[in-house]
Amino acid sequence: MTLTRYGYRNAISGFFEFPTENARRILPRHLEPAELHHGSSIFSLTAFDFTESEVGAYGEVVMSVIVAPLVKAGEKLPKSAFYPYLVATTTKAARDHAIERWHLPHWMEDVGVLFQHQGRTITARVAADGTPVAELTITDYSWQKVSHLYQSFMKDDEGAYLANITMEGSQSEHEEETGRLKLHEHPFNKDLAISEIYENPFRELWMRDGVQTFEPLIQLQTA
Amino acid sequence: MEAAPKKEAGKTAFTDYDYSNFYYGAGDDPLNLLAPFNDWYQEALPNGYYLYSEPLSTAPSTRVTVRSRKTGQVHELINMASYNYLGISYREEVIEAAIEATRKYGLGASGSPILSGTFEIHNELAAEVAAFKDKEAAIVFPTGYSANVGFISSVMRAGDTILLDQYSHASIVDGAILAKSKTVFFRHNNPLDLERKLTGVKGKKLVVVEGVYSMDGDVCLLPEIVEVAKRHGARILIDEAHSTFLFGPNGRGVAEHFGLDKEVDFHLGTFSKSLGGQGGFVCGTRALIDYVNAFGRSRFFSCNLAPNIAAGLLAGLHIVEREPQLRARLWSNVAFLRRRFAEEGIDIGKSTSQVMPVMVNNDAKVFAIAEKVQERGLFLNPVTYPAVPKHKSRLRISVSAAHSEQELETAVQVIAGVLREEGIIRAEGK
Repeated sequence: MTLTRYGYRNAISGFFEFPTENARRILPRHLEPAELHHGSSIFSLTAFDFTESEVGAYGEVVMSVIVAPLVKAGEKLPKSAFYPYLVATTTKAARDHAIERWHLPHWMEDVGVLFQHQGRTITARVAADGTPVAELTITDYSWQKVSHLYQSFMKDDEGAYLANITMEGSQSEHEEETGRLKLHEHPFNKDLAISEIYENPFRELWMRDGVQTFEPLIQLQTA
Repeated sequence: MEAAPKKEAGKTAFTDYDYSNFYYGAGDDPLNLLAPFNDWYQEALPNGYYLYSEPLSTAPSTRVTVRSRKTGQVHELINMASYNYLGISYREEVIEAAIEATRKYGLGASGSPILSGTFEIHNELAAEVAAFKDKEAAIVFPTGYSANVGFISSVMRAGDTILLDQYSHASIVDGAILAKSKTVFFRHNNPLDLERKLTGVKGKKLVVVEGVYSMDGDVCLLPEIVEVAKRHGARILIDEAHSTFLFGPNGRGVAEHFGLDKEVDFHLGTFSKSLGGQGGFVCGTRALIDYVNAFGRSRFFSCNLAPNIAAGLLAGLHIVEREPQLRARLWSNVAFLRRRFAEEGIDIGKSTSQVMPVMVNNDAKVFAIAEKVQERGLFLNPVTYPAVPKHKSRLRISVSAAHSEQELETAVQVIAGVLREEGIIRAEGK
C-alpha cells in the first residue's frame, strides 16, 4: 500500500455547532451529518502548516462538515469522519496535487494562511483575494502523543471517495470554549449561515510536530 | 501533561473511544452496529464501565449492599449515588402504604390511564401534588422521562420553535424531537445567548429550562431567563426533577425559590428524585391538564403508574408536608459537604445544590479513581464524555437528608485521599 505523507508543524481545528439544515445543503446525498444535538450538526475549520510534502511546504485551510463514519467490525475504528467541502492552499502546486490525487474541492486561487503562536494560544488568519475570510484562535490544554484514524469523504463529478487518514503527533484537545472564530462575509464562506455559528468552538483540537498520512483513495458505490 | 493509558504497541486503548463512536455502522444491516461496539465494550467493561449498573441488594438508603460487576463480590458501601434526597423511599409509612395498596390493587394498573388504568389512588396523588404546588390541577406520568416527552409533544407542533438549554436532559430533547418542532439550543444558563436565539423567531415559542441541572448541580438563572422569554413572547417550561420538594419556602421548587411561580407557564417534576419513587407530573390550569390528558401520547399509550407506587408516593408527599425539617437537614448536609470539600481543595464546579460533581477533569483516570473510591467504601458513579464535555469527567454525588455527618465526613476523606494519590488535588489541600 502506497502511503502519502505530509509533515506539519501545526494543525489546528475548531468545531462549531451549526444547523443541520445548513449541513444538509452542503453534503452530498449519500452522507449523513453527525449531530451534536437534535437539529444541530458540526462544522469544522482546520488550518495546516505543512512543512514537508511531495509538493513542498505550504499552508492549507479545510472547511468540513462532520459526518457519520463507516464503522466496520474487525477494522480499526475511526475517531470521526468528515466531508471537506472547501479546501484552500497557499500554493498552486499543493492545490493541483490535492485535486488530482484526493478529488478535494478547492478554492481556485492561492490564499494566505498565517499562523501566530503565542504562549498557549495559536491563531490562523486566512485571507483570500487579499481580504480576510476567517480567523481561528484556539488554546491548548494538555499534550499527549497520539495516532488517530479519521475518514475523509470526497465527491466530485467522477465519483464518491473515501480516504483513511492517520494523524500522528502531539495532541491537545478540549472543550473549554476558550477559542474564537471570526468568519467574514466573503464568497469563501458562502455555504455557511455565518450568523448561526457560535463564535466559540465547543471543541478545540491542536496537533503539532506530526505527520498526516493518507492511505490510497477508495472509490465508493453510492446510489 | 495527561498520562496516556497503558496500551500494547500498535493497539488502540479503549479510552480512545466512547459510546459516541458506535452510533453509526456501515452496511445495510442494523445488526452491523453490534460487533464494533461489543469488541470495544469487552475491553471497556473490566476497565471501568463495570462501575455502571452494579446491582444493589438493599434499599437505596445511606448504606447499600452492592455486588461488584468486576469481582462478583458483595460490599457494604456508603451510598453517595442514589437520588432519594430526603431519604423517604424506605420510610416505614411509605413501605406500609405501598404494601397496603398492593394488597388492595395487586401488582399493576393493568391499563392505560385513559381507559381502565386509573385508580382512586392516582387521582388522590394528582390532587395532592396540585395542592402542594399551589396549582389548579396535575397529571401523573409513569416516569419523569415520559412526562417531558409527553408534555412537550402535547403542546408543541411542527412549525413551532423550542429553545433548549444545551445541557437539557435527554427526555426534554426527545420531547422536542417527537413534537417535530424546530429545536434551537442556547448556551448553558446563558440568557444573552437565549436572547440572540429568540430574536426574530416567529410563531409559537417554548423555552425549556431545568431547576437544577443534573450533571453540574447548578441552578437555573430563572429571573433572567424569564425576563428574556417574556419579552419575546415565549412560554416557559421548567423541569424541576431535581428541585421539587427541596427548593423554595414551601418546597415547591426553584420557581418558588425565585418568587416566579406564577411567571413560569408550565411546571414539571418527578417523584423519583426527592421522593425516591417513580413517575413524573405536570401541573397547571385545569384546561392545560385536560389538554395534556388528551394529547400526551407517552402517557396515553403507556400502562399507568403502578397503584402501589402511587400509594407510596402519596405517603411520601405527606412526609414532605409534615416534616419541613427534612429540607433543612438536607441543606445543612449540603453546606457541610461544600465546606469540607472546599477545605480539602476539591472542586465541585458550579454546584449550588444537593447534586455535587467532584471534578476529576481527567478522562483517562476517572475510572481508576472511581474504582479506588469504591474499594474504600463509597458507592458513587463516574461520569465522563459524552455525558459531559471532554476533560470534565467527574464523580457525581447526591446528598441526602438521611446522611449522617459521619458518613459525609468519611466520604470527604475517602475522596480527598484518592484524589491526592492520583495527583488531582494538592497534597496539603487548599
